[in-house]
Amino acid sequence: MESWHYEPTPDFDKTPIERLRDFPRHPHFFVYWMRTFANLVVRAILRIGNRFEIAGRENLPSSGSFVMVANHASHLDAPSLLAALPLKQVHRAFPAAAADYFFTNLPVLAFSAIVMNAMPFDRRENPKQSIDACRQLLESEGHVLILFPEGTRTADGSIGPFKPGIGFLIAGSAIPVVPCHIRGAWKAWPKGNWIPRPRKLTLTIGKPLVFADKQRVKDDALAIAETLRSAVAALD
Amino acid sequence: MSDALQNPIFRDYFVVLMGLLVVAGTLILVLRLLHKNVDHAWKAYRGWLFMIPPVFVALYFGRVTTIVFFTLLSLSAFFEFARATGLYRDWGMLSVVILGIISVGVVSAMDDPGTKVHGWYGMLMALPVYVVAAIMMIPIIRDRAKGQLQPIALSVVGFIYIGWMFGHLSYLTNAKNAYGYLLYLLFAVPLNDIAAFTFGRIFGNRKFRPNISPNKTWAGSIGALAVSMALPWLVRFSFPEFGTAELILTGIIVGIGGQLGDLTISVMKRDIGIKDMGAVIEGHGGILDRVDSLIYVAPLFFHMTRYFVGL
Repeated sequence: MESWHYEPTPDFDKTPIERLRDFPRHPHFFVYWMRTFANLVVRAILRIGNRFEIAGRENLPSSGSFVMVANHASHLDAPSLLAALPLKQVHRAFPAAAADYFFTNLPVLAFSAIVMNAMPFDRRENPKQSIDACRQLLESEGHVLILFPEGTRTADGSIGPFKPGIGFLIAGSAIPVVPCHIRGAWKAWPKGNWIPRPRKLTLTIGKPLVFADKQRVKDDALAIAETLRSAVAALD
Repeated sequence: MSDALQNPIFRDYFVVLMGLLVVAGTLILVLRLLHKNVDHAWKAYRGWLFMIPPVFVALYFGRVTTIVFFTLLSLSAFFEFARATGLYRDWGMLSVVILGIISVGVVSAMDDPGTKVHGWYGMLMALPVYVVAAIMMIPIIRDRAKGQLQPIALSVVGFIYIGWMFGHLSYLTNAKNAYGYLLYLLFAVPLNDIAAFTFGRIFGNRKFRPNISPNKTWAGSIGALAVSMALPWLVRFSFPEFGTAELILTGIIVGIGGQLGDLTISVMKRDIGIKDMGAVIEGHGGILDRVDSLIYVAPLFFHMTRYFVGL
Protein backbone atom coordinates (compact mmCIF):
# COMPACT_ATOMS: atom_id res chain seq x y z
CA MET A 1 0.00 0.00 0.00
CA GLU A 2 1.43 3.35 -1.02
CA SER A 3 2.31 5.75 1.80
CA TRP A 4 0.43 8.98 2.19
CA HIS A 5 2.29 12.09 1.22
CA TYR A 6 2.43 14.69 3.98
CA GLU A 7 3.32 18.27 3.22
CA PRO A 8 3.98 20.31 6.36
CA THR A 9 3.83 24.04 5.79
CA PRO A 10 7.28 25.39 4.79
CA ASP A 11 7.40 27.73 7.83
CA PHE A 12 6.48 24.84 10.12
CA ASP A 13 9.37 25.05 12.59
CA LYS A 14 9.22 28.82 13.03
CA THR A 15 7.68 30.56 16.03
CA PRO A 16 4.55 32.67 15.43
CA ILE A 17 6.63 35.87 15.65
CA GLU A 18 9.18 34.57 13.15
CA ARG A 19 6.31 33.66 10.84
CA LEU A 20 5.01 37.24 10.97
CA ARG A 21 8.49 38.56 10.12
CA ASP A 22 8.89 36.07 7.32
CA PHE A 23 8.35 37.12 3.70
CA PRO A 24 6.74 35.87 1.53
CA ARG A 25 4.24 34.80 4.18
CA HIS A 26 2.48 31.47 3.83
CA PRO A 27 -1.31 31.59 3.76
CA HIS A 28 -2.91 31.11 7.14
CA PHE A 29 -6.60 30.49 7.71
CA PHE A 30 -6.97 32.71 10.80
CA VAL A 31 -4.75 35.48 9.43
CA TYR A 32 -6.84 35.53 6.24
CA TRP A 33 -10.09 36.09 8.13
CA MET A 34 -8.55 38.49 10.62
CA ARG A 35 -7.16 40.58 7.75
CA THR A 36 -10.49 40.54 5.94
CA PHE A 37 -12.34 41.66 9.06
CA ALA A 38 -9.72 44.27 10.03
CA ASN A 39 -9.76 45.77 6.54
CA LEU A 40 -13.55 46.06 6.71
CA VAL A 41 -13.20 47.92 10.01
CA VAL A 42 -10.43 50.18 8.64
CA ARG A 43 -12.59 51.01 5.59
CA ALA A 44 -15.52 51.87 7.85
CA ILE A 45 -13.32 54.09 10.04
CA LEU A 46 -11.89 55.91 6.97
CA ARG A 47 -15.36 56.37 5.51
CA ILE A 48 -16.95 57.64 8.72
CA GLY A 49 -14.01 59.33 10.45
CA ASN A 50 -12.30 60.86 7.41
CA ARG A 51 -15.19 61.07 4.91
CA PHE A 52 -12.89 59.10 2.63
CA GLU A 53 -13.53 59.32 -1.11
CA ILE A 54 -11.91 57.59 -4.06
CA ALA A 55 -11.77 59.01 -7.59
CA GLY A 56 -10.51 57.19 -10.69
CA ARG A 57 -10.98 53.64 -9.42
CA GLU A 58 -11.64 52.59 -13.03
CA ASN A 59 -7.94 53.23 -13.76
CA LEU A 60 -6.87 50.22 -11.68
CA PRO A 61 -5.89 47.30 -13.97
CA SER A 62 -8.48 44.54 -13.74
CA SER A 63 -5.96 41.73 -14.24
CA GLY A 64 -2.25 41.00 -13.89
CA SER A 65 0.20 42.42 -11.38
CA PHE A 66 0.70 46.14 -10.99
CA VAL A 67 2.36 48.75 -8.78
CA MET A 68 0.59 51.58 -6.98
CA VAL A 69 2.78 54.57 -6.12
CA ALA A 70 1.63 57.51 -4.02
CA ASN A 71 2.77 60.52 -2.04
CA HIS A 72 3.48 59.67 1.59
CA ALA A 73 2.16 61.99 4.27
CA SER A 74 0.86 59.75 7.05
CA HIS A 75 0.12 56.26 8.35
CA LEU A 76 -3.31 56.58 6.71
CA ASP A 77 -1.78 56.30 3.23
CA ALA A 78 -1.34 52.52 2.97
CA PRO A 79 -4.82 51.77 4.41
CA SER A 80 -6.28 54.30 1.95
CA LEU A 81 -4.64 52.61 -1.04
CA LEU A 82 -5.71 49.16 0.20
CA ALA A 83 -9.25 50.48 0.57
CA ALA A 84 -9.31 51.21 -3.17
CA LEU A 85 -8.87 47.50 -3.94
CA PRO A 86 -11.59 44.83 -3.79
CA LEU A 87 -11.55 43.23 -0.32
CA LYS A 88 -10.47 39.86 -1.73
CA GLN A 89 -7.41 41.48 -3.33
CA VAL A 90 -5.93 42.80 -0.04
CA HIS A 91 -4.43 39.34 0.55
CA ARG A 92 -2.45 39.75 -2.67
CA ALA A 93 -1.57 43.42 -2.12
CA PHE A 94 1.66 44.26 -0.34
CA PRO A 95 2.49 47.75 0.93
CA ALA A 96 6.30 47.98 1.15
CA ALA A 97 7.00 49.11 4.71
CA ALA A 98 10.27 50.16 6.34
CA ALA A 99 11.69 47.06 8.03
CA ASP A 100 13.40 49.22 10.67
CA TYR A 101 10.10 50.80 11.72
CA PHE A 102 7.27 48.33 11.05
CA PHE A 103 8.98 45.01 11.73
CA THR A 104 10.61 45.56 15.12
CA ASN A 105 8.28 45.62 18.14
CA LEU A 106 5.53 43.00 18.40
CA PRO A 107 2.27 45.06 18.30
CA VAL A 108 3.41 47.07 15.25
CA LEU A 109 4.77 43.92 13.60
CA ALA A 110 1.47 42.08 14.16
CA PHE A 111 -0.51 45.00 12.73
CA SER A 112 1.83 45.35 9.73
CA ALA A 113 1.84 41.65 8.88
CA ILE A 114 -1.72 40.63 9.74
CA VAL A 115 -3.80 43.71 8.91
CA MET A 116 -1.71 45.49 6.26
CA ASN A 117 -0.03 42.42 4.74
CA ALA A 118 3.08 44.62 4.61
CA MET A 119 6.28 43.59 2.91
CA PRO A 120 9.44 44.39 4.89
CA PHE A 121 11.59 46.83 2.90
CA ASP A 122 15.15 47.27 4.09
CA ARG A 123 15.73 50.91 3.16
CA ARG A 124 18.99 51.25 5.10
CA GLU A 125 21.20 48.14 4.90
CA ASN A 126 20.14 46.44 1.71
CA PRO A 127 17.67 48.35 -0.50
CA LYS A 128 18.82 46.51 -3.65
CA GLN A 129 17.88 43.15 -2.15
CA SER A 130 14.47 44.56 -1.21
CA ILE A 131 13.95 45.82 -4.78
CA ASP A 132 14.78 42.31 -6.03
CA ALA A 133 12.17 40.92 -3.64
CA CYS A 134 9.64 43.43 -5.04
CA ARG A 135 10.50 42.29 -8.57
CA GLN A 136 9.96 38.63 -7.63
CA LEU A 137 6.63 39.53 -6.08
CA LEU A 138 5.45 41.18 -9.28
CA GLU A 139 6.42 38.13 -11.33
CA SER A 140 3.50 36.24 -9.76
CA GLU A 141 0.14 36.82 -11.39
CA GLY A 142 -2.32 39.16 -9.66
CA HIS A 143 -0.02 40.77 -7.09
CA VAL A 144 -0.27 44.45 -6.17
CA LEU A 145 2.78 46.22 -4.81
CA ILE A 146 2.15 49.48 -2.95
CA LEU A 147 5.13 51.81 -2.84
CA PHE A 148 5.83 55.24 -1.41
CA PRO A 149 8.90 56.28 -3.42
CA GLU A 150 9.66 59.28 -1.20
CA GLY A 151 10.94 56.69 1.29
CA THR A 152 9.48 58.43 4.33
CA ARG A 153 6.52 60.55 5.40
CA THR A 154 6.64 64.22 4.46
CA ALA A 155 7.44 66.64 7.26
CA ASP A 156 5.61 69.66 5.80
CA GLY A 157 2.86 68.24 3.58
CA SER A 158 4.73 68.76 0.28
CA ILE A 159 5.69 65.91 -2.04
CA GLY A 160 9.42 65.18 -1.73
CA PRO A 161 11.66 63.78 -4.51
CA PHE A 162 11.02 60.15 -5.52
CA LYS A 163 13.97 57.82 -4.96
CA PRO A 164 15.29 56.06 -8.07
CA GLY A 165 14.60 52.56 -6.63
CA ILE A 166 11.15 52.58 -8.23
CA GLY A 167 12.86 53.27 -11.58
CA PHE A 168 15.26 50.35 -11.20
CA LEU A 169 12.31 48.14 -10.27
CA ILE A 170 10.10 48.78 -13.28
CA ALA A 171 12.48 49.89 -16.05
CA GLY A 172 12.18 47.53 -19.02
CA SER A 173 9.14 45.80 -17.54
CA ALA A 174 5.59 45.61 -18.86
CA ILE A 175 4.19 45.91 -15.34
CA PRO A 176 1.90 48.96 -15.16
CA VAL A 177 2.51 51.61 -12.49
CA VAL A 178 -0.56 53.41 -11.22
CA PRO A 179 0.12 56.91 -9.86
CA CYS A 180 -2.09 57.82 -6.90
CA HIS A 181 -2.48 61.01 -4.94
CA ILE A 182 -3.73 61.15 -1.36
CA ARG A 183 -5.07 64.50 -0.27
CA GLY A 184 -5.71 65.47 3.34
CA ALA A 185 -3.59 62.77 4.95
CA TRP A 186 -0.98 65.19 6.26
CA LYS A 187 -3.64 67.27 8.02
CA ALA A 188 -5.37 64.13 9.31
CA TRP A 189 -2.29 62.47 10.79
CA PRO A 190 0.98 64.42 10.49
CA LYS A 191 4.31 62.87 11.46
CA GLY A 192 4.81 63.06 15.21
CA ASN A 193 1.12 62.85 16.17
CA TRP A 194 -0.02 59.80 18.12
CA ILE A 195 -3.58 59.54 16.84
CA PRO A 196 -5.32 60.60 13.60
CA ARG A 197 -7.72 63.54 13.38
CA PRO A 198 -11.08 63.35 11.59
CA ARG A 199 -10.08 65.38 8.51
CA LYS A 200 -11.32 64.74 4.97
CA LEU A 201 -9.27 62.31 2.91
CA THR A 202 -9.40 61.91 -0.86
CA LEU A 203 -7.59 59.37 -3.01
CA THR A 204 -7.24 60.09 -6.71
CA ILE A 205 -6.08 57.25 -8.95
CA GLY A 206 -4.40 58.17 -12.23
CA LYS A 207 -3.98 56.27 -15.50
CA PRO A 208 -1.38 53.47 -15.43
CA LEU A 209 2.07 54.12 -16.94
CA VAL A 210 4.41 51.55 -18.46
CA PHE A 211 8.20 51.94 -18.77
CA ALA A 212 9.02 48.94 -20.96
CA ASP A 213 11.27 51.05 -23.22
CA LYS A 214 13.56 52.17 -20.37
CA GLN A 215 16.85 50.55 -19.31
CA ARG A 216 17.82 49.50 -15.81
CA VAL A 217 20.43 52.28 -15.56
CA LYS A 218 20.73 55.24 -13.23
CA ASP A 219 19.68 57.97 -15.70
CA ASP A 220 16.54 56.11 -16.77
CA ALA A 221 15.73 55.22 -13.14
CA LEU A 222 15.95 58.89 -12.16
CA ALA A 223 13.81 59.87 -15.15
CA ILE A 224 11.14 57.28 -14.23
CA ALA A 225 11.13 58.50 -10.63
CA GLU A 226 10.67 62.11 -11.79
CA THR A 227 7.94 61.14 -14.30
CA LEU A 228 6.04 59.32 -11.58
CA ARG A 229 6.44 62.18 -9.13
CA SER A 230 5.03 64.60 -11.71
CA ALA A 231 2.16 62.19 -12.46
CA VAL A 232 1.30 61.94 -8.75
CA ALA A 233 1.56 65.71 -8.22
CA ALA A 234 -0.62 66.36 -11.29
CA LEU A 235 -3.47 64.44 -9.65
CA ASP A 236 -3.70 67.03 -6.84
CA MET B 1 -17.32 26.58 39.43
CA SER B 2 -17.73 29.73 41.47
CA ASP B 3 -15.46 31.97 43.51
CA ALA B 4 -12.12 30.23 43.06
CA LEU B 5 -10.48 31.87 46.06
CA GLN B 6 -13.16 30.45 48.40
CA ASN B 7 -12.39 26.95 47.14
CA PRO B 8 -9.78 25.20 49.33
CA ILE B 9 -8.67 22.88 46.48
CA PHE B 10 -7.97 25.85 44.17
CA ARG B 11 -6.05 27.59 46.97
CA ASP B 12 -4.02 24.49 47.82
CA TYR B 13 -3.03 23.87 44.19
CA PHE B 14 -2.21 27.55 43.73
CA VAL B 15 0.14 27.46 46.72
CA VAL B 16 1.72 24.12 45.71
CA LEU B 17 2.32 25.05 42.05
CA MET B 18 3.49 28.58 42.71
CA GLY B 19 5.73 27.18 45.45
CA LEU B 20 7.19 24.65 43.00
CA LEU B 21 7.82 27.41 40.46
CA VAL B 22 9.62 29.52 43.08
CA VAL B 23 11.69 26.56 44.33
CA ALA B 24 12.61 25.43 40.80
CA GLY B 25 13.46 29.01 39.79
CA THR B 26 15.67 29.46 42.85
CA LEU B 27 17.40 26.13 42.17
CA ILE B 28 18.17 27.10 38.57
CA LEU B 29 19.45 30.48 39.75
CA VAL B 30 21.73 28.86 42.36
CA LEU B 31 23.09 26.38 39.79
CA ARG B 32 23.71 29.26 37.40
CA LEU B 33 25.63 31.15 40.07
CA LEU B 34 27.72 28.00 40.54
CA HIS B 35 28.54 28.23 36.80
CA LYS B 36 26.61 25.07 35.89
CA ASN B 37 25.04 24.75 32.46
CA VAL B 38 21.33 25.29 33.07
CA ASP B 39 20.27 26.36 29.55
CA HIS B 40 18.03 23.34 28.97
CA ALA B 41 16.42 23.55 32.41
CA TRP B 42 15.94 27.32 32.04
CA LYS B 43 14.16 26.90 28.69
CA ALA B 44 11.83 24.28 30.16
CA TYR B 45 11.26 26.42 33.26
CA ARG B 46 10.47 29.51 31.19
CA GLY B 47 7.92 27.43 29.27
CA TRP B 48 6.19 26.50 32.54
CA LEU B 49 6.20 30.17 33.56
CA PHE B 50 4.19 30.89 30.42
CA MET B 51 1.85 27.92 30.87
CA ILE B 52 0.91 27.70 34.56
CA PRO B 53 -0.30 31.28 35.24
CA PRO B 54 -2.83 31.33 32.32
CA VAL B 55 -4.39 28.12 33.68
CA PHE B 56 -4.96 29.71 37.08
CA VAL B 57 -6.22 32.95 35.53
CA ALA B 58 -8.74 31.04 33.36
CA LEU B 59 -9.93 28.94 36.34
CA TYR B 60 -10.10 32.01 38.57
CA PHE B 61 -12.49 33.78 36.20
CA GLY B 62 -14.88 30.82 36.20
CA ARG B 63 -16.56 28.18 34.10
CA VAL B 64 -17.08 29.99 30.80
CA THR B 65 -13.58 31.52 30.77
CA THR B 66 -12.10 28.08 31.42
CA ILE B 67 -14.15 26.58 28.57
CA VAL B 68 -12.97 29.39 26.25
CA PHE B 69 -9.38 28.72 27.37
CA PHE B 70 -9.60 24.99 26.63
CA THR B 71 -11.34 25.64 23.31
CA LEU B 72 -8.58 28.05 22.22
CA LEU B 73 -5.98 25.50 23.31
CA SER B 74 -7.77 22.81 21.33
CA LEU B 75 -7.99 25.03 18.23
CA SER B 76 -4.27 25.88 18.49
CA ALA B 77 -3.38 22.19 18.87
CA PHE B 78 -5.55 21.29 15.87
CA PHE B 79 -3.89 24.01 13.80
CA GLU B 80 -0.48 22.59 14.60
CA PHE B 81 -1.72 19.18 13.48
CA ALA B 82 -3.13 20.70 10.28
CA ARG B 83 0.10 22.59 9.57
CA ALA B 84 2.16 19.44 10.16
CA THR B 85 0.07 17.10 8.02
CA GLY B 86 -0.69 19.48 5.16
CA LEU B 87 -4.41 19.54 5.99
CA TYR B 88 -4.09 23.34 6.44
CA ARG B 89 -4.31 23.68 2.65
CA ASP B 90 -7.89 22.39 2.62
CA TRP B 91 -9.85 25.35 4.02
CA GLY B 92 -13.20 23.60 3.59
CA MET B 93 -12.23 20.71 5.86
CA LEU B 94 -10.50 23.15 8.21
CA SER B 95 -13.69 25.21 8.55
CA VAL B 96 -15.79 22.17 9.46
CA VAL B 97 -13.31 20.96 12.10
CA ILE B 98 -12.97 24.47 13.57
CA LEU B 99 -16.77 24.74 13.83
CA GLY B 100 -16.83 21.27 15.41
CA ILE B 101 -14.23 22.25 18.03
CA ILE B 102 -16.10 25.47 18.82
CA SER B 103 -19.29 23.39 19.14
CA VAL B 104 -17.61 21.21 21.79
CA GLY B 105 -17.02 24.40 23.80
CA VAL B 106 -20.55 25.69 23.19
CA VAL B 107 -22.33 22.48 24.28
CA SER B 108 -20.08 22.35 27.36
CA ALA B 109 -20.98 25.94 28.25
CA MET B 110 -24.72 25.84 27.56
CA ASP B 111 -27.44 24.31 29.72
CA ASP B 112 -29.02 20.97 28.89
CA PRO B 113 -32.36 21.91 27.26
CA GLY B 114 -34.10 19.07 29.11
CA THR B 115 -32.72 19.19 32.64
CA LYS B 116 -31.57 22.86 32.66
CA VAL B 117 -28.25 21.94 34.33
CA HIS B 118 -24.91 23.27 33.05
CA GLY B 119 -23.52 21.29 30.07
CA TRP B 120 -25.43 19.46 27.31
CA TYR B 121 -23.98 15.98 27.76
CA GLY B 122 -26.16 14.25 25.15
CA MET B 123 -25.06 16.65 22.44
CA LEU B 124 -21.40 16.36 23.47
CA MET B 125 -21.63 12.60 22.91
CA ALA B 126 -23.54 13.04 19.62
CA LEU B 127 -21.23 15.71 18.17
CA PRO B 128 -18.82 13.26 16.43
CA VAL B 129 -21.76 11.98 14.37
CA TYR B 130 -22.65 15.43 13.06
CA VAL B 131 -19.08 16.62 12.51
CA VAL B 132 -17.96 13.43 10.75
CA ALA B 133 -21.11 13.60 8.59
CA ALA B 134 -20.27 17.22 7.69
CA ILE B 135 -16.66 16.28 6.84
CA MET B 136 -17.90 13.49 4.55
CA MET B 137 -20.19 15.93 2.76
CA ILE B 138 -17.39 18.22 1.61
CA PRO B 139 -16.07 16.08 -1.29
CA ILE B 140 -19.68 15.45 -2.34
CA ILE B 141 -20.41 19.19 -2.42
CA ARG B 142 -17.20 19.72 -4.39
CA ASP B 143 -17.98 16.77 -6.67
CA ARG B 144 -14.38 15.62 -6.28
CA ALA B 145 -13.07 12.15 -5.45
CA LYS B 146 -9.34 12.14 -6.29
CA GLY B 147 -7.15 12.60 -3.22
CA GLN B 148 -10.11 13.17 -0.88
CA LEU B 149 -9.64 10.22 1.48
CA GLN B 150 -6.50 11.69 3.06
CA PRO B 151 -8.03 15.07 4.05
CA ILE B 152 -11.20 13.29 5.20
CA ALA B 153 -9.20 10.93 7.43
CA LEU B 154 -6.98 13.72 8.76
CA SER B 155 -10.01 15.87 9.53
CA VAL B 156 -11.75 13.04 11.37
CA VAL B 157 -8.62 12.35 13.45
CA GLY B 158 -8.15 16.09 13.99
CA PHE B 159 -11.68 16.56 15.29
CA ILE B 160 -12.19 13.33 17.24
CA TYR B 161 -8.75 13.11 18.79
CA ILE B 162 -7.67 16.72 19.24
CA GLY B 163 -11.01 18.51 19.31
CA TRP B 164 -13.48 16.16 20.94
CA MET B 165 -11.38 13.93 23.22
CA PHE B 166 -9.40 16.90 24.52
CA GLY B 167 -12.66 18.89 24.68
CA HIS B 168 -13.86 16.65 27.53
CA LEU B 169 -11.78 18.94 29.75
CA SER B 170 -14.18 21.77 28.88
CA TYR B 171 -17.14 19.68 30.01
CA LEU B 172 -15.37 18.82 33.29
CA THR B 173 -15.85 22.48 34.29
CA ASN B 174 -19.51 21.52 34.92
CA ALA B 175 -18.56 18.96 37.59
CA LYS B 176 -19.38 19.69 41.23
CA ASN B 177 -15.68 19.23 42.01
CA ALA B 178 -14.41 20.91 38.83
CA TYR B 179 -11.39 22.55 40.49
CA GLY B 180 -10.26 19.26 41.98
CA TYR B 181 -10.55 17.26 38.74
CA LEU B 182 -9.10 19.89 36.41
CA LEU B 183 -6.23 20.95 38.64
CA TYR B 184 -5.37 17.33 39.41
CA LEU B 185 -5.21 16.44 35.71
CA LEU B 186 -3.27 19.57 34.79
CA PHE B 187 -0.81 18.79 37.60
CA ALA B 188 -0.58 14.99 37.44
CA VAL B 189 -0.29 14.51 33.66
CA PRO B 190 2.83 16.70 33.18
CA LEU B 191 4.27 15.14 36.37
CA ASN B 192 3.78 11.71 34.76
CA ASP B 193 5.79 12.93 31.73
CA ILE B 194 8.53 14.35 33.96
CA ALA B 195 8.66 11.08 35.98
CA ALA B 196 9.02 9.02 32.79
CA PHE B 197 11.86 11.28 31.65
CA THR B 198 13.63 11.24 35.03
CA PHE B 199 13.35 7.47 35.67
CA GLY B 200 14.40 6.83 32.08
CA ARG B 201 17.51 8.98 32.51
CA ILE B 202 18.53 7.38 35.79
CA PHE B 203 17.64 3.70 35.33
CA GLY B 204 16.76 3.25 31.68
CA ASN B 205 18.63 1.23 29.14
CA ARG B 206 15.96 -1.03 27.62
CA LYS B 207 14.06 0.87 24.95
CA PHE B 208 10.29 0.87 25.29
CA ARG B 209 9.09 1.59 21.73
CA PRO B 210 12.28 2.34 19.78
CA ASN B 211 10.55 2.80 16.41
CA ILE B 212 8.19 5.42 17.77
CA SER B 213 10.07 7.27 20.48
CA PRO B 214 13.72 6.19 20.82
CA ASN B 215 14.27 8.03 24.12
CA LYS B 216 11.52 6.22 26.02
CA THR B 217 12.58 3.28 28.21
CA TRP B 218 10.83 0.54 30.16
CA ALA B 219 12.29 1.95 33.39
CA GLY B 220 10.89 5.40 32.60
CA SER B 221 7.52 3.96 31.77
CA ILE B 222 7.25 1.83 34.92
CA GLY B 223 8.62 4.64 37.08
CA ALA B 224 6.02 7.05 35.69
CA LEU B 225 3.25 4.55 36.34
CA ALA B 226 4.45 4.10 39.93
CA VAL B 227 4.49 7.87 40.52
CA SER B 228 1.06 8.27 38.94
CA MET B 229 -0.37 5.42 41.05
CA ALA B 230 0.94 7.04 44.25
CA LEU B 231 -0.05 10.60 43.39
CA PRO B 232 -3.85 10.32 43.92
CA TRP B 233 -3.17 9.34 47.55
CA LEU B 234 -0.64 12.13 48.03
CA VAL B 235 -3.07 14.79 46.81
CA ARG B 236 -6.24 13.10 48.02
CA PHE B 237 -7.65 16.49 48.97
CA SER B 238 -8.33 16.93 45.23
CA PHE B 239 -11.21 14.44 45.22
CA PRO B 240 -12.68 13.77 48.67
CA GLU B 241 -15.58 11.87 47.05
CA PHE B 242 -13.25 9.18 45.59
CA GLY B 243 -12.92 5.75 47.21
CA THR B 244 -10.01 3.32 46.81
CA ALA B 245 -11.23 1.95 43.46
CA GLU B 246 -11.51 5.43 41.94
CA LEU B 247 -8.09 6.42 43.25
CA ILE B 248 -6.54 3.31 41.70
CA LEU B 249 -8.33 3.90 38.40
CA THR B 250 -7.20 7.55 38.39
CA GLY B 251 -3.61 6.39 38.85
CA ILE B 252 -3.89 3.86 36.01
CA ILE B 253 -5.60 6.32 33.66
CA VAL B 254 -2.97 9.01 34.18
CA GLY B 255 -0.02 6.59 34.37
CA ILE B 256 -0.88 4.55 31.28
CA GLY B 257 -3.10 6.99 29.37
CA GLY B 258 -0.59 9.79 29.69
CA GLN B 259 2.14 7.67 28.14
CA LEU B 260 -0.15 6.40 25.38
CA GLY B 261 -1.10 9.99 24.55
CA ASP B 262 2.56 10.93 24.33
CA LEU B 263 3.30 7.94 22.09
CA THR B 264 0.28 8.62 19.87
CA ILE B 265 1.56 12.07 18.95
CA SER B 266 5.03 10.53 18.51
CA VAL B 267 3.56 8.07 15.98
CA MET B 268 2.18 11.03 14.01
CA LYS B 269 5.43 12.99 14.21
CA ARG B 270 7.54 9.98 13.18
CA ASP B 271 5.26 9.23 10.25
CA ILE B 272 5.35 12.84 9.04
CA GLY B 273 9.09 13.11 9.75
CA ILE B 274 9.15 16.07 12.15
CA LYS B 275 10.62 16.52 15.62
CA ASP B 276 8.03 18.81 17.23
CA MET B 277 4.48 19.74 16.35
CA GLY B 278 5.33 23.45 16.41
CA ALA B 279 7.54 26.09 17.98
CA VAL B 280 5.13 28.11 20.11
CA ILE B 281 6.72 27.41 23.49
CA GLU B 282 10.52 27.57 23.43
CA GLY B 283 11.98 24.43 25.00
CA HIS B 284 8.60 22.65 24.85
CA GLY B 285 7.87 22.50 21.11
CA GLY B 286 4.28 23.12 20.14
CA ILE B 287 1.07 23.21 22.14
CA LEU B 288 0.22 19.73 20.90
CA ASP B 289 3.53 18.42 22.26
CA ARG B 290 2.51 19.79 25.65
CA VAL B 291 -1.09 18.58 25.77
CA ASP B 292 -0.57 15.23 23.99
CA SER B 293 -0.86 13.17 27.21
CA LEU B 294 -3.94 15.08 28.37
CA ILE B 295 -5.80 14.18 25.17
CA TYR B 296 -5.80 10.50 26.10
CA VAL B 297 -6.35 11.06 29.81
CA ALA B 298 -9.18 13.64 29.72
CA PRO B 299 -12.00 11.48 28.28
CA LEU B 300 -10.97 8.34 30.21
CA PHE B 301 -10.91 10.20 33.52
CA PHE B 302 -14.15 11.98 32.61
CA HIS B 303 -16.11 8.79 31.96
CA MET B 304 -14.60 6.95 34.92
CA THR B 305 -15.64 9.78 37.24
CA ARG B 306 -19.07 10.16 35.65
CA TYR B 307 -19.73 6.42 35.95
CA PHE B 308 -18.54 5.91 39.53
CA VAL B 309 -19.32 9.14 41.40
CA GLY B 310 -21.27 11.28 38.90
CA LEU B 311 -20.25 14.73 37.75
